[in-house]
Amino acid sequence: MKLASPPGTCAVRLRACRRSFRTPDGGVYVALDAVDLEVRAGEFVALVGPTGCGKSTLLNLVAGLLAPDAGQVEVFGSPLEGINRRAAYLFQQDVLLPWKTAEENVMLGLVFRRLPREEARRQARAWLERVGLRGFENRYPHQLSGGMRKRVALAQNLIVNPEILLMDEPFAALDVQTRQLMENDLLRIWQEERKTVLFVTHDLEEAIALSDRVVVLSAGPAARPVGEFPVDLPRPRDVTEVRLDPAFGELFRRIWELLRGEVLRAFRISA
Amino acid sequence: MPSGFPPDRRWGLRVVQAAVLVAFLVSWEAGSRLRWLDPFFFSRPSSVAERVARWFATGEVYGHISVTALETLLAFLAGSFLGVVVGFAFAMSPALSRVFDPYVKVANAMPRIVLAPIFTLWFGLGVLSKVAFGVTLVFFVVFFNTYQGVREVDRNVLNNARMLGASDRDLVRHVLLPSALVWILSSLHTSVGLALVGAVVGEYLGSARGLGYLIQQAEALFDTTGVFAGLVVLAGFVLAVDLLVSFVERRLLRWKPPSHVEEVL
Repeated sequence: MKLASPPGTCAVRLRACRRSFRTPDGGVYVALDAVDLEVRAGEFVALVGPTGCGKSTLLNLVAGLLAPDAGQVEVFGSPLEGINRRAAYLFQQDVLLPWKTAEENVMLGLVFRRLPREEARRQARAWLERVGLRGFENRYPHQLSGGMRKRVALAQNLIVNPEILLMDEPFAALDVQTRQLMENDLLRIWQEERKTVLFVTHDLEEAIALSDRVVVLSAGPAARPVGEFPVDLPRPRDVTEVRLDPAFGELFRRIWELLRGEVLRAFRISA
Repeated sequence: MPSGFPPDRRWGLRVVQAAVLVAFLVSWEAGSRLRWLDPFFFSRPSSVAERVARWFATGEVYGHISVTALETLLAFLAGSFLGVVVGFAFAMSPALSRVFDPYVKVANAMPRIVLAPIFTLWFGLGVLSKVAFGVTLVFFVVFFNTYQGVREVDRNVLNNARMLGASDRDLVRHVLLPSALVWILSSLHTSVGLALVGAVVGEYLGSARGLGYLIQQAEALFDTTGVFAGLVVLAGFVLAVDLLVSFVERRLLRWKPPSHVEEVL
């Protein structure tokens, strides 16, 4: 597999980004403020933080679905305008089209790129096989389990060969076993493709098990990164086994010390 | 099948259903023969059956059926097309929907039957005035469902398609239109039914052909048997149309979880 981009370059850079929203009662809520963040090409970065701290907002800024009020988002060195064409986005919610089969859903990105149908179909089959869904090509989403639907969504995103993969708590709704299988599959595919990944989660264990670097976001309002922790656990990893590594426990303690304060702060603000 | 009846007991249901019909017809026939019911006002099933059989034997009824079928089809197609186009435009442009909102509400609340005489004046006694009348009925059902269908599309689904590289045209074709189609299909029975109502009522109010005309003619001659015979033919026609709609619906909604598709017995 070829590398998505030369290593060492900066895939995503946020400079002093700020984003606010209008509240229903006419006020202004500042979700993110003074956010600086860099993600190197080929790096797997996990973003953790208390609920409602603006993790999804940050991801939407990088995706280009939202524009910052102030500051700048750069993608591979150039300022981002509109949708980020070099990124794919795996949503937390179910976003497959219910009237299309698994195969047709996976094909979608290629159809939008005007590839011939037969070629798109061939690639979709190959991707479904890679995510372990051979034989399920003609099933409709409602005929698949939650884990299978996530696999289809993953294939749907990877088929367009994005340089950056944005993931917003993609496995949050899955049961523990399915989730660990999916995490291992994600790591295996990432190992082969070396995409740049920005992975949002509120589960610290998941963040450490998957990533090269964990970034902790403060509690909102005006959330921003307050800590960075490189994860130098050996790869390839198995998400279940890596948790038994003493270094994992040590890292968890260090990050949790910081994260706990933010979680408590978020709790006090919302309560 | 989620009908509540396992296959072996569905036959039992059919027998009971048939028994209800037979009991009704027998008591009608007996009541009429024993003079409990005046045959002039109530006719009797045997006379009605005889009349229906004669209509089909001489072939005179086919022309009426085909005219009504044509009017129904045209009203359904034209009403649906306009409903989809306008529904889409309103859903995509909040300004448009805000300006026209009161007019749409008034037009929909008005009993459409008052328009029938005007349509007869404008479009004559032929097919066109019935189609126009049917369109006013079908349009609103399809319009509201399209509007709703487009508006209710999940934001994340739209964003997902955008991230995958969909252009605005792709969004309409692959996401918005299919989503609206689900709503339109769910009201298919209603809109086809209304197209048929438009055709028959239009014929009844003024025409020279069609099932509504047939019934109106019999009524004008105090021919009760003719009225009931017309109703029987109309009922058979409605049933055939409804079966066709169910078939189309099942084909187009194959992807839906079964609990969402209403099973017609």
